[in-house]
Amino acid sequence: MTGSALTETAVATTRVSGRVGRIRRLPVPLILGSILLALYIIVAVTGPLWAPYSYDRVGTGKPFAPPSAKNLLGTDQMGRDLFSRVVYGARHELFMALTATAVAVIAGGFLGLLSGFVGGLFDEILMRVFEVLISIPVLVFALLVISAVGPEVSGSQLILIGVVALVWLPRTGRMARSVAVDLVTRDYVMVARARGESAWSIVWRELLPNATGVLLVEFGVRAGYAPILIGSLGFLGLGVRPPIPEWGLMISENRANIVAAPYTVLAPALALSGLVISLNLFTDGLARVLGRQVKRV
Amino acid sequence: MVIVRVLLSRVLWALVTLIAVSFLIFLAIEILPGDIAARVMGRFATEEMKAEFRRMRGLDRPMLERYGEWVIGVAQGDFGDSLVNEYKVSDVVMPKLKNTLLLALFAFILYVPLAIILGSLSAVYREGIVDTLVSGFTLICLSIPEFVMGTLLLYAFAVNIGLFPVMSVVNMAQSTGDAIRMMTLPAVTLAIAMAVYAIRMLRDNLIEVLDSDYIRMAILKGVPLRRVVLRHALPNALVPALNVTALNLAYLIGGVVVVEKVFAFPGIGTLLVDAVFLRDAPVVEACALIVSAVYVIANLVADVMTVALNPRLRTAK
Repeated sequence: MTGSALTETAVATTRVSGRVGRIRRLPVPLILGSILLALYIIVAVTGPLWAPYSYDRVGTGKPFAPPSAKNLLGTDQMGRDLFSRVVYGARHELFMALTATAVAVIAGGFLGLLSGFVGGLFDEILMRVFEVLISIPVLVFALLVISAVGPEVSGSQLILIGVVALVWLPRTGRMARSVAVDLVTRDYVMVARARGESAWSIVWRELLPNATGVLLVEFGVRAGYAPILIGSLGFLGLGVRPPIPEWGLMISENRANIVAAPYTVLAPALALSGLVISLNLFTDGLARVLGRQVKRV
Repeated sequence: MVIVRVLLSRVLWALVTLIAVSFLIFLAIEILPGDIAARVMGRFATEEMKAEFRRMRGLDRPMLERYGEWVIGVAQGDFGDSLVNEYKVSDVVMPKLKNTLLLALFAFILYVPLAIILGSLSAVYREGIVDTLVSGFTLICLSIPEFVMGTLLLYAFAVNIGLFPVMSVVNMAQSTGDAIRMMTLPAVTLAIAMAVYAIRMLRDNLIEVLDSDYIRMAILKGVPLRRVVLRHALPNALVPALNVTALNLAYLIGGVVVVEKVFAFPGIGTLLVDAVFLRDAPVVEACALIVSAVYVIANLVADVMTVALNPRLRTAK
């Protein structure tokens, strides 16, 4: 039964040949996620060129003006154009989430692979430190770092990127290490060792290429959660400072007026959730293509 | 007994982790920001005032000495005094902790049937409409931040329909009914956030079990489907989900921070965030430590359950 089903799909896929066929065979989540993500990236990059107003321009309409041709999504408490603010928000959100995650995956990936390869006391100590760091809940960890830096400085986007990267680092590090521990038993690593290659070159040339799949999926999982963390901190008033149009911050600014102007909350809420959805879809699809499992806990 | 040794080592390691976490928290709050006196007394404090403050609080003593004193106090339930007011930290924290635990319990009671029912339905009718709907629902809920979901629920049920109060001040609740009404929305938010993982997990486990030979056997010998699922398959599929549930409990205590803030719920999360704003170091330390402790213990329970429920580990040499 499965045999005939297989031949049927084989026939079906050979029929749609060429590029279209190749795209059709990709998992639906990957296609959907890519399209949505591309939209977000386009808005983030080109937004300032076509957004009707600047994100901090006050008095573009009456406060809490309803949606109109002048203000597509209405205005907030200070008469700032909501549509422009949501559009500008995309670049802040994407920039912070992706940079922080990239830093964490690169640093954590390197440390984890090295630790798994070197082993011994270095590995033991580093993993114990990571485990201790992981045993503090994500948001509490972030709050601790923020209160350590001092709430005055922590409003800067660079500090916030550092906070998120620091929260992810032990998690990505442990993930990379678990891959490395498995890889070092493979023949090609032993051969490289026998050739007398340095630890650095083995990590770089043998381990990294074979760990990219796992690290890519890990990047996707963390990148998908980063906007939630950044938004939560913004919502709590401990993320970026006004007037930066960070979506979490916008939700908390406009929350008290949700009855008078529901759009002021719904628009950033939708934008933020949509970004996370597209990142998660993309990651799920990517994992399926790479034959990896997605672990989100 | 292998299992006793394994469990003992897990418990010991959890204890070591907790001590390390307490040190990290102390380090982060007391050392890195530099001068607590300057932070508490503000810009206009003179040097003498700050020195006096440090002497009064014992901040002029070596860090390790203060840490040791703090940890010994914590072990006896004494978290020191608040910097903002004259209360003892434990007097401030304990009532809030009680509220949070109450909320967590409520969320957990909602979570269990939600996860089991939706998980089983989508496994039994896999690839069908129910499964598609549930998997769409979980994917969306997985992607909506808790504070957004809380805000949307608040808007829908409290503001528009007026079914629940907008603010949940449990202490001011007149009766148990009032208290439950006030805790419903935050508890629902937390329950949904938790259930998402469990539903997916349970579905995959149940599908695996349903494909096994003994289930096929049961179906072939004419056991009704409902009985097959409830009596034969579900108990076996629940075992791995128990582990997820313990991890979920750990998540719950972390996620509670934002959700409490959304509903102005007077719990430990709200207290933690407020203390970060007020720079009330002892309260921040106490809250962070308690939350982390619950997290570590929940993870320990998950670990222990995995070991205890795995017969192979029970009898291994």
